[in-house]
Amino acid sequence: MPTDRIAIEELVYRSCLALDAGDFKAYLALCDDGFRYTVTAHSPEIRKDMVWLDHDKAEMQLLFNNLPRHNSDHSPLARHAHVYTVETAADGKSAEVISTLQVYKTTLDGGATELFAIGRYIDTVSLESAPPRLSKRIVRLTTRQFGFGYHVPF
Amino acid sequence: MLSSGCASRSFRRRISSIRGSTPTTRSFEEQQKVFGGSWIIGCHESELPGAFDYRTFTHPSGTPLIIVRGEDQKVRAFYNVCPHRGNTLLYDPVGNAKRITCIFHQWSFDTKGNCVDITREQQGFQDRYCKADAGLREVRAEIGYGGFVWVNLDDNACTLKEYIGDALSMLEEYMSMPLEVFHYHKAVVNTNYKLWHDTNSEFYHDYLHYFNRVTGMMQPGYFDRKYTGYPNGHASVGSMTIKYDAYEGSKARGVGWPGLAPGGWILIDIFPAMTYNLRTSVLRMDTSIPLGPNKLLVEFRGLGLKSDTPEQRAERVRDHNTIWGPFGRNLHEDLLAVHGQGRAMQPGSEPHWIIQGREENMTIHDEGGMRHFYREWSRRMEREAFDPHGDRNVATVA
Repeated sequence: MPTDRIAIEELVYRSCLALDAGDFKAYLALCDDGFRYTVTAHSPEIRKDMVWLDHDKAEMQLLFNNLPRHNSDHSPLARHAHVYTVETAADGKSAEVISTLQVYKTTLDGGATELFAIGRYIDTVSLESAPPRLSKRIVRLTTRQFGFGYHVPF
Repeated sequence: MLSSGCASRSFRRRISSIRGSTPTTRSFEEQQKVFGGSWIIGCHESELPGAFDYRTFTHPSGTPLIIVRGEDQKVRAFYNVCPHRGNTLLYDPVGNAKRITCIFHQWSFDTKGNCVDITREQQGFQDRYCKADAGLREVRAEIGYGGFVWVNLDDNACTLKEYIGDALSMLEEYMSMPLEVFHYHKAVVNTNYKLWHDTNSEFYHDYLHYFNRVTGMMQPGYFDRKYTGYPNGHASVGSMTIKYDAYEGSKARGVGWPGLAPGGWILIDIFPAMTYNLRTSVLRMDTSIPLGPNKLLVEFRGLGLKSDTPEQRAERVRDHNTIWGPFGRNLHEDLLAVHGQGRAMQPGSEPHWIIQGREENMTIHDEGGMRHFYREWSRRMEREAFDPHGDRNVATVA
């Protein structure tokens, strides 16, 4: 396996671990300054692609900063990603990475785990410095129902 | 399609008698008495852009419907039930169908509800039953008040205009241009539909939301907003202007809504469970569908102008998502709160009562909007809301 691929896979997996742990500082440290984070989904009901969140790095920081101010479900999430494809650009400076994603939620009271969401990460990874950094993440959700919801995106 | 041809009435009754069951739960009674004769939003006309486009919708009473735009551009609604053996006709939420054909025995219908094919009709029914008798059951449908498609299962109900009355007058000037749905999602929550409508009907729960607490409630004029009740259980809350500059992360707002003051906000609750919520640049529409006494499906729509440029639309989407999106600030908090009520009010638990006694001259923290709802609920259910089981086993406060 090429060295780049190993580093890219580790980047994706570290991003999951950081969010699972609520370590948002560590998560943002994996992102370059121009990072853009978008959550999208397709609605068959209205026959349209939808954008559910679209933030730059500063806005992600703000979202994370505001979390303690909100009333939220505190059940922890576990994000399980599996990197499927890595396509490195011809100039070798970036790569497009597609991973499947499953998100599990575990209740605080009793510890029951349920599948919360499935979808894909469609990442653009900068390879201009080592280790690689996330330049763009599109979370393409297949799941569109989340019960009473959640404040922390995937 | 309401037609009669060569059908034998006794023959049809025999078929019908197979269908019925008689659920006895209170939930079913509410679904029939409260929702059954009400005008309900089934979808938006922008979800049916072309001829033969259809949308399926399960009415809050439990009746599955097809809403379809005909070749003549007229939008009609029918039971999504094959009159032959009661099978579902259309399974997908949307599609395009010149012919609506049942998968079971291939009976086929046009978009006016006429049956156009009964397979091996003559061999099976001879002259006792024919296509003219097999039309789809049509349901009244009207488009109005922002381009929404309203349906009513009661053939004898008043018109949509009579049902709404003046309740939406505060909003009508802002809905004169064609609108388009850009956001749709559903949430299923273990709670009663009235609790969600309650949350949409009172602003006392601004205490739930940090940003509403520290910004909105501090604004001059906040406590002056007034509830107005209208016939048939509808209620509105007077407009106010939100100072979005006070909301961290929401400072750059430009697109607005034609005619609405920057930062303007109008909220109107339509009985029994729909809410128009126009705020700055987005119209949000909630429609609630009770699935049981403690189970609720809410449909959330976000709308902008059909004439939006991509830039304008992107700004509306952004405004919507910040507060009302699935990961927005307020929506999860509101849903969490009604989930908590549903959890606390499980059947068998003692605390089934709520207090809606705040009287502040019908201003923003008065709970009069929901008291107004319950007066209509009581009229339809033929018992007082404080005696919901009809057994007079009520709690009273001296």
